[in-house]
Amino acid sequence: MELAEIEKLLEVYFQGETTLGEEELLQEFFASKQVPGHLEVYRPMFVAFGQAKEETIQTEIVLPKSRTFNYWKWGIAASFVILLGIVGFMFNDGGGLTDEEELALAEYNKARETMMLLSANFNQGTDAMLHLNEFNNGIANMSVIDQFNESKKLILK
Amino acid sequence: MNQKEFLAKVLPYKDKLYRLAKRLLVSAEEAEDAVQEVYLKLWKGRENIGNYKNPEAFAVTMTKNYCLDRLKSKQASNLKIVHSNFQNGENLQKKVEVNDGVELVFKIMQTLPEKQRMVLQLRDVEQFDFDEIAEMMESTETAVRVTLSRARKAVREQLIKQYNYGVS
Repeated sequence: MELAEIEKLLEVYFQGETTLGEEELLQEFFASKQVPGHLEVYRPMFVAFGQAKEETIQTEIVLPKSRTFNYWKWGIAASFVILLGIVGFMFNDGGGLTDEEELALAEYNKARETMMLLSANFNQGTDAMLHLNEFNNGIANMSVIDQFNESKKLILK
Repeated sequence: MNQKEFLAKVLPYKDKLYRLAKRLLVSAEEAEDAVQEVYLKLWKGRENIGNYKNPEAFAVTMTKNYCLDRLKSKQASNLKIVHSNFQNGENLQKKVEVNDGVELVFKIMQTLPEKQRMVLQLRDVEQFDFDEIAEMMESTETAVRVTLSRARKAVREQLIKQYNYGVS
């Protein structure tokens, strides 16, 4: 590249009007060994810019532990719970009572209670029936009356 | 977006962000902290990152704003560590050898106003397009060119001064 062109480019450069391509040409020019004395003063500028780009951060970027992983784990756990729920529901259908069934159960319990009450009274009734035995005894004793009657008949004869 | 996807998307900018942060904050350690903070913020807002046309420019803007805030709070608390770490033009010329030309350029850059430093960094070091730099700087292309021209001329001026001082 001609020196005059470089000088022109430099002028544009300091006006802030060069393109990235033109700036690269300048960089290349000043990186070469043959820089005329009057332009030598600009060399450090372009060398410095090139060097500055080499610098890198030495520490590692640390981010908080990803929550996405936890979401994933919780997701699996939740799916299991839901699955268990569904399976449990399907295999244990009778366990859950509908309103009608509960009503029926209540009726049944009520009926059962009534029957129990009845049977308790009935048992009381049977206790009372024991007195019938006395009556039977009485009847047995009545046979004595029969004998009496027969004796009476004999006597009347 | 999971961490892997996120990192694949934004981690490639880390060196650029670091260099910009260091250009502004000077201390390597502070620049590392700044980049770390910026990545944390990006991570927290990762659901929105897809909405940005240019995530890299967005990350650069965040870094810029974070560093400027840091500098402001430092100035407010009167620490001024950054500014006392490097010399102004006058001292610079006497202390630095002229054959340390490259070092000299870096030191000159540290004396520039923050905007000029950033624009010089984004254009001459990172070689971004003007429209991208305008987006990063939350400015216009014209304003960026003007700032850039001033920054380049300021570096040249200091270099020439130093050069003449060394020669004579």
